[in-house]
Amino acid sequence: MRVRLYQALPYYRAMNTHLSAPANSTTRGTLACVGLGMTLGSHLTPLARSHIEQADVVFAALSTSASEMWLRRMNPNVHSLQPYYGEGKSRQKTYREWVDVMLAEVRAGKRVCGVFYGHPCIFAWSPRTAVNEARAEGFVAHLEPGISAEDCLYADLGIDPGRFGCQHFEASQLLFYERRIDATGYLVLWQAALVGDWSLTRFETGPAYKQVLVDVLSADYPLDHEVIVYRAATLPIDKPQIRHVTLRDLPTTAMTAEDTLVLPPATALKPNQAIRQRLRILDEAHSLA
Amino acid sequence: MSNTIDLLEAIGKDAALRHASAEDLGKVLEQANASDALKAAVQAGDSSLLGAELGHKPMRVNHDSHTGGHEGEEPDHKDDQDHPQQPANPVPSDASHA
Repeated sequence: MRVRLYQALPYYRAMNTHLSAPANSTTRGTLACVGLGMTLGSHLTPLARSHIEQADVVFAALSTSASEMWLRRMNPNVHSLQPYYGEGKSRQKTYREWVDVMLAEVRAGKRVCGVFYGHPCIFAWSPRTAVNEARAEGFVAHLEPGISAEDCLYADLGIDPGRFGCQHFEASQLLFYERRIDATGYLVLWQAALVGDWSLTRFETGPAYKQVLVDVLSADYPLDHEVIVYRAATLPIDKPQIRHVTLRDLPTTAMTAEDTLVLPPATALKPNQAIRQRLRILDEAHSLA
Repeated sequence: MSNTIDLLEAIGKDAALRHASAEDLGKVLEQANASDALKAAVQAGDSSLLGAELGHKPMRVNHDSHTGGHEGEEPDHKDDQDHPQQPANPVPSDASHA
């Protein structure tokens, strides 16, 4: 029998090893909230897929109907959470309903899996809350990470957040609170399409609201500073969408909820001479010891 | 005709296909008996052309309400009022959103 080279490697041998899980002797419900990743077919982890396949019931909050259809291939008992949204309905109420509907099945003794696009803990209130409440009631509950829009952003834009540092804010937070921006590092703003929305009922605001954001940012950035409008690929036949605009033109730039703003550093890192001197003294003391 | 979801998954998990040119991917899809919509979407670089085949189902992508001035709030599912309210004194949360 011909053995291929890769089959001799321990890692690949492990990939083809199948173990039988112990039979579940309890009827207690369980909950796993997992991330599907951003791109259909590319990002789902083996563990997240296993949670989906082994669940009695799956709830889904995904970004494309194709992803929902793909999910139904893994488990036919999928319930979309999308119908809980409503025009003029507060999203706070929608997300509380998501928690309640998942926990009701857990309490009924079901193995429940909540599937969220990207990462289940990033800009998603319901998975964390559902898992915390399930644990508080004595149920076994897990959060399993997925490849997020932030992960894709770093790869598609070639940004290393460790080089200059990187701040992340939900865009409206910059308007509602006095936050300190560090323009020597990257600034990433999420949900900018609905910046300034207090109501939690809108999915987009508009140019006048984005102008307020520009006015706030202009305290730290020149108006001709480059802003990247980024959107990760959700289908594998897509490419990431990367648009470069000036800060000045942001209000008239069309955006949707999937778009994220990235502001590259505007100013150079400033050496901290006092701390450097203090460290030099420490180095000298240690070298003498 | 091959199933479009199966083909999308196959493209998504194959390094040679995921980053193939539209021309090369088009040839592969032709051989795989892909739907006209999928072939057109690949050729045009526009996945919205799949809408007619997969359904034009609008999908919301905002899954968090604990930002934007509502950081410290707890949703009250017993409250049936959906009226938009401006928080009187929004309190910064120590909750992580990253």
